[in-house]
Amino acid sequence: MIWLRWILGILICGWLGQFLLAMLVPHLIMERLYSQVGKQAGFNTLLVNAKPDETSRGVVRPSPDLLYGICVYNLDQGPVVIKAPVPDRYWSMQFYQMNTDNFASITNQREQRHRAGTVVEATLIGPGDVPDKYSGELIQSPTGRGVMLLRASGIGEDTEAQLALKNSSCKPI
Amino acid sequence: MLRWPLAVLIVLAASVIFLLATVNSDMGQDAVSNGNWRTNPNIGSKDAGVMLRATVAIGGLLASNRDDSIYYALTSIDGKPLSLNCQYKIEGNDYDANWWSITAYGWDFYLIPNSERRYSFNNENLVRDDDGNWQIYVSAHQTPGNWLPIGPSGSARDDKAKQHDFDLLIRLYTPGDEYLTAPESAPLPKVSMEGCV
Repeated sequence: MIWLRWILGILICGWLGQFLLAMLVPHLIMERLYSQVGKQAGFNTLLVNAKPDETSRGVVRPSPDLLYGICVYNLDQGPVVIKAPVPDRYWSMQFYQMNTDNFASITNQREQRHRAGTVVEATLIGPGDVPDKYSGELIQSPTGRGVMLLRASGIGEDTEAQLALKNSSCKPI
Repeated sequence: MLRWPLAVLIVLAASVIFLLATVNSDMGQDAVSNGNWRTNPNIGSKDAGVMLRATVAIGGLLASNRDDSIYYALTSIDGKPLSLNCQYKIEGNDYDANWWSITAYGWDFYLIPNSERRYSFNNENLVRDDDGNWQIYVSAHQTPGNWLPIGPSGSARDDKAKQHDFDLLIRLYTPGDEYLTAPESAPLPKVSMEGCV
């Protein structure tokens, strides 16, 4: 009878434990990505990747139809400015916190179509920063660290998209 | 004496097994089915639960939110896991989105090595008939027409934790309202199994 209680206890604790593990997993995976990109390109620096193929193994499920640029940011020393020319075809700038939440997005789609052909200059500030101190396009990160990902359509003629990423930057103020 | 440390280890192992069983259920427990395709409206959003966040971190890190793009994955047809020994046909036309693509991924979630270096088709590079209809043949062996090659993934087979050998992912960028409001019934390509060896 006592063994039955042990087994039941272990199963219940194991079932509950999966939720604790599930809370850890996104952070662990993001930390690994953060340090990998940081080692490769540095922090607060844009890394533009080649078009994904079978050798692309940094982030799961890369799209072979997209071109990517990635910046792992750390706002401890102050804000970061991201400048990016916006091509005509699909393009987006997305921001992720370290629990994988996509907390902000700028695109050239839907009501933001007017951005095509322009240059986005976004200032990324930390959770403790006062937005009133800054002007222009502001994005407040809920955490001091995170990831910014640029995506641009790589289907068909992709010269404009390649140039847009090449001329983009992610730098401290 | 060793009873408690042993119990803690067993609890930890049980937690890992429970978690793997959950995250291996494709798009999370609150996924929506549309035929054999499955999606989850909360991917990439703040509304994602603990389990969906873990699922996405493992199998779809840095996913977009659904306003930007919606993802449907297909891992089996009528309950039969996708196999490298079988040939599949995907049929469709066009969809209400800025653009879309269909990609094959290995069991390790990465692009599948193949001699053609072809990993996907999109709405612009498909060979179509006069009405705009198209077929993609998913097979390990070359086929005429739109051939999407599959084969063993880049990582060792020992690492394979899923029943299916590969999966298909359709991405619809800037999807129309139907995909946002009724993802379970919005039009999608039809996938069928043609035969197995």
